[in-house]
Amino acid sequence: MKELDLLKKDWNKRTNDFPKVTYNDIYALIHKKSSSIVKWIFVICIVEFIFWTSLNLLIPESYLDIYEQFHLKTFLQISQVAHYIILSVFIYLFYKNFKSISVCDSTNILMQKIIKTRKTVNCYVYYNIVLYVIISVVLNVIMLSNPTLLINSLGLKIKDLDPDLFLYLYIAIQTATLFIMCGLLWLYYKIIYGILLKKLNKNYTELKKMED
Amino acid sequence: MTKDLEHKFIEEFQENQNIVHKVCRIYTNNQEAHNDLFQEITIQLWKAYPKFRGESKLSTWMYRIGLNTAITLYRKSKRTIQTQDFETVLHKIESTEYDATEEEQLTLMYKAIYQLSDIEKALIFLYLEDKNYKEISETLGISEVNARVKMNRIKTRLKTILNP
Repeated sequence: MKELDLLKKDWNKRTNDFPKVTYNDIYALIHKKSSSIVKWIFVICIVEFIFWTSLNLLIPESYLDIYEQFHLKTFLQISQVAHYIILSVFIYLFYKNFKSISVCDSTNILMQKIIKTRKTVNCYVYYNIVLYVIISVVLNVIMLSNPTLLINSLGLKIKDLDPDLFLYLYIAIQTATLFIMCGLLWLYYKIIYGILLKKLNKNYTELKKMED
Repeated sequence: MTKDLEHKFIEEFQENQNIVHKVCRIYTNNQEAHNDLFQEITIQLWKAYPKFRGESKLSTWMYRIGLNTAITLYRKSKRTIQTQDFETVLHKIESTEYDATEEEQLTLMYKAIYQLSDIEKALIFLYLEDKNYKEISETLGISEVNARVKMNRIKTRLKTILNP
């Protein structure tokens, strides 16, 4: 194709058009901070780890007293220890995957490693959601099986309340909270994947398609 | 030690800086974006430099990091203004080319290249840089056969644009 030869000729001829970047310019450049997506992913992942881990610490002490009345404190303490062991495994995997990202790899491998690192943190988030749902269901089932004790432990006076109405309200509030949490998570992931990883995902899909 | 390494890097980078400029030329379409990408590639090269063992040529290593940064690590600047781009390209062509038909063809080709995807741009870039299919496939991490097939498709696409 002679047009491509023409393009090649022109492409190489224009090498002299570029401004010459001086020694001092380069020195200044290498002391600037990178704004690559790998850096952003690292920051976001760390924030996610801190956020999900700190949620555990935000449960007020008074709640633990309520759980104690239902003999659930030991159950919660054991699940907490298990949770921290699992968290350590996730942090180790995240660190290992993150360290393996190298800009010197081929484009395909580089993208795979970035996606794998992100997936580790995604799994941690999914694990947290599943854990919260399971624990909520278990706690609610146990507590709702004894509504009188629940009403008392919440400091409410039973004569002021219709037990049926209380039960419906309690379930409605719990369900609404669950939906709001899911909505917020969905929005958050839309932002992360929509803005940060859109280009990477698009290019990775294109490379994969070429290999099929 | 770091100072020595820094000095060595800057010297070598200075000699080969056109590679980075060329990656920026194919992936960006205005001076501001060009400078942004140039900065990011330089930072990535410097960060990777202590691990560069010289198993491959410095230029090969620079092509790879340059393209990886442009395709994967760099997030496009929101300030890119499309309308300015082609004017800059046209202006450059007018000043270097005098053959009217050739000039027209080149304008169309550069326009077509700007419309290619990031991966396609990498392929055509390595082709323009006279890299063989082995090097192209190793840089992108795809098989040589697939690199060849994809390149032929791009060439056909460019041909169609030029001869509708």
